[in-house]
Amino acid sequence: MTTETLLQRATEILAPFSKGNNNPETNRLDVEIEASDLPSATAALMDNQWGYLSAITPTDLGKEVNKLELLYHFCEGAAITSLRIYLPREDQPDVPTISDQIPVASFFERELGEMLGVHVVGTPDSSRLFLPDDWPDGVYPLREEFSMEQAAPVEPRETLPEMGRVGNKFTVPIGPQHPALKEPGHFEFAVDGEIITGARMRLGYVHRGIEKATEKRNWIQNLYLLERICGICSHTHTSAYAMGAEKLAQVEVPPRALAIREIVAGLERIHSHLLWLGVAAHEAGFDTLFMYSWRDRETVMDLLETLTGNRVNYSITVLGGVKYDFTAEHSRAIHKAMNYLEERIRYYLHIVTTDASFLQRTRGIGTMTLEEAKYFGALGPTARASGLERDVRIDSPYGAYHRFPVSLITDERGDLEARFEVRMKELLVSCFTIRTIVDNLPPGELAVRFPRKVPAGETVSRVEAPRGEAFYYIKSGGGESPVRLKIRTPSLCNWTSALNKAVGHQLADVPMLIAGMDPCFSCNDRMITVRRKNDSHTLTWSQMREYGIKKYASIREPK
Amino acid sequence: MNVSQNYVSQLMGRITTWARVNSPWAIHFNSGSCNGCDIEILATLTPRYDIERFGIKLRGSPRHADVLICTGPVTRQARERLLRTYEQMPDPKFVVAVGSCGISGGVFQGCYNIVGHINEVLPVDAFIPGCPPRPEAIIDGIVKLLTHLQNGTRPEPIQFAPQETA
Repeated sequence: MTTETLLQRATEILAPFSKGNNNPETNRLDVEIEASDLPSATAALMDNQWGYLSAITPTDLGKEVNKLELLYHFCEGAAITSLRIYLPREDQPDVPTISDQIPVASFFERELGEMLGVHVVGTPDSSRLFLPDDWPDGVYPLREEFSMEQAAPVEPRETLPEMGRVGNKFTVPIGPQHPALKEPGHFEFAVDGEIITGARMRLGYVHRGIEKATEKRNWIQNLYLLERICGICSHTHTSAYAMGAEKLAQVEVPPRALAIREIVAGLERIHSHLLWLGVAAHEAGFDTLFMYSWRDRETVMDLLETLTGNRVNYSITVLGGVKYDFTAEHSRAIHKAMNYLEERIRYYLHIVTTDASFLQRTRGIGTMTLEEAKYFGALGPTARASGLERDVRIDSPYGAYHRFPVSLITDERGDLEARFEVRMKELLVSCFTIRTIVDNLPPGELAVRFPRKVPAGETVSRVEAPRGEAFYYIKSGGGESPVRLKIRTPSLCNWTSALNKAVGHQLADVPMLIAGMDPCFSCNDRMITVRRKNDSHTLTWSQMREYGIKKYASIREPK
Repeated sequence: MNVSQNYVSQLMGRITTWARVNSPWAIHFNSGSCNGCDIEILATLTPRYDIERFGIKLRGSPRHADVLICTGPVTRQARERLLRTYEQMPDPKFVVAVGSCGISGGVFQGCYNIVGHINEVLPVDAFIPGCPPRPEAIIDGIVKLLTHLQNGTRPEPIQFAPQETA
């Protein structure tokens, strides 16, 4: 279906609820609805299989307008439908939940609560997502009147209800500092013997408050700030931001610049997937593969360094184009490196599909069906390994992806083995695409002039990061800095599936299950609670400790 | 204390220093970093850079570690965990701050969830600048720290220039 027919269908589906439609861009439909109609409008879209919930953007429109604006973005192919809701700005306005229909919405709704003070009626969990335990109640960082003085630390409140011990079940805490985690996150697994019966996690250890910080920096400064959302997929963030800003400023980026951006994106995908292969192999206890893949990853790092001057945080994108040109020397280096990498990647593909001891850790573990992948809102290779054909580069080609398309890799099996296979095959596709672009690089300018002030407007830009779709919503007020910038990164959407799938598996499989979705804490830092079984009886931490002391005392002194 | 006891304690001291310099075990803590420094620290372990040739090993437990390698600015949520990790390390312990954010807060200065740079929370012995520093720079920084250990000195405390008030 074309984008026009998709939008036409969405208009028809949403007609009973609409208070006014408009098309801010050719691929976007904006429907204003009443807050009370939200669950039924969402149900209508879901029943008609129209798209998936990509993000919720909350914005404070300020004292003058005296309203809060919520945008629920649904994506299908290249089409984006946004449900627009206005709420009064007085404290704690109500909005009904949609997380009973779409589980992933529960994170977005908790964000609404703590960032903007919106009261989401009926949401399963309204505890803290990002903000630290010592953050004062009733202070919302995304409100216009927020100042640092209000956020002075208070006595920490217990944000996680303790799970404790129930019958033969225990809670195993993992993190935030743990050998299996390269980044800080805190997990609590309830185990019955070796089997996991519940999983919960608390993030927020690397939440820095970037969305708010963008409002204080100008358009150019933001490019370098957003690059540092994540050091692994930094180019994704600059591309998404630059694309959005260029759309708003109506700047036409030269084709050569777009092609160079795609080369760097391809190299970034190779470095990220090889990094992931190493870390995942390390979690499985296969350190040889970890060392091998990281050794070969250095080939890509060398290429990135020759091209951009940096190994990480390449900064090749500027608003309006790219910084550095691509020469014949680069082209030779790339071909040589791709020859080597293709051979190595085929070897890794062979290992992850044939090595018997490795397959015991991956085959049939964490299997996610197509329906589950859709229901949990999985993205990227995690979704594609379950047969869900979801890839922004193909659904909604941006940049040079019209000219140099990539092929879609999917797998039906949905287990960890399939995720390894999908990622390795994606690497081969990336190598092929990079070769094609290098051989057919369009001539021309590298960059065009970008204005200091960007005309008022709002736009959505979506980019396929190595981990899945990254979603950017950018709103300009016509000034030197954006008015609102909303970022939704792929790891967040994948957590629901990973933690739900952990239930029923052995505790020893947890590192692999977590690694299987390639989580990136620095970009998605939030807190989640999922599915707990039989926890009618819970103990607090101090009760648990007391119980432990008594128990061990009784063991020491047998009666 | 008689002469032989004194000699034994001196000898033991020399053996400990020798052991410490040749096998410093490190623990890595990310207190709000963007991952850039963390992947470069991991890269130092891998065959191209191979930091283990200096006897340096990354350990999971703070109780086994001599050197705490910190990355990133310190967020409000991570502060308490960073301190707890530091307190769990046995003496003598050393702190290395990797990356611009760990030195000054970097691009994240002034964000609402940031406490500040690492030196505001822990006494830092070595700073490795860069965004992120190259693996060679990380190795260089740690080797410089080891030279001080060998000589039995602590690195000079770093004096920050007082901020000019407008």
